[in-house]
Amino acid sequence: MSAADLAVDVLLALAVLGEAVCVLGLLAGRGAIDRLHYAGAASTLPPALVAAAVTVSEGATAPSINAIVVALLLLVLGSVLTHATARVVRARGQAR
Amino acid sequence: MNAWLAAAVVSLAGIAPCVWLCMRGTRVDALVALELATTLVTLTLVLLAEGFARSSYFILPMVAAALGFVGNLVFVRFMERDLR
Repeated sequence: MSAADLAVDVLLALAVLGEAVCVLGLLAGRGAIDRLHYAGAASTLPPALVAAAVTVSEGATAPSINAIVVALLLLVLGSVLTHATARVVRARGQAR
Repeated sequence: MNAWLAAAVVSLAGIAPCVWLCMRGTRVDALVALELATTLVTLTLVLLAEGFARSSYFILPMVAAALGFVGNLVFVRFMERDLR
């Protein structure tokens, strides 16, 4: 196993671990705002780790660029969506 | 099964708790669970595309990321309108 393969495995493991933490946080959260923190976090770090794993595996190729674009889309659009959802949660008074 | 496909299976399994919360939680909780499920599905599609070594499959997660945002935003707007 080369160093690149090992790096890919580590990055994938961290990405899946991050997703698992977010899912567990969604279940354990006390209110909608608490849960929203975990849902928002899932669109930041895990996609970046997956994009990094694809880039390490493939190099500077089309799949790497596509994975990076997906990670950026999730980061930007996820942040907007999280903000809009938080406004609804606050207006409904279900923060806790 | 390579590491990509294994990661995709684990990622896909994370949707089950989101479905459970969609069925059992309040409407706002269900919306939050739907947002997380959308992210998980998009990441799973990236992992599957790389796992199957088909670069053309990467179109799917790009479309899912964009359309998932629009779909969730529609629900957010409906809930906002419901307040008025």
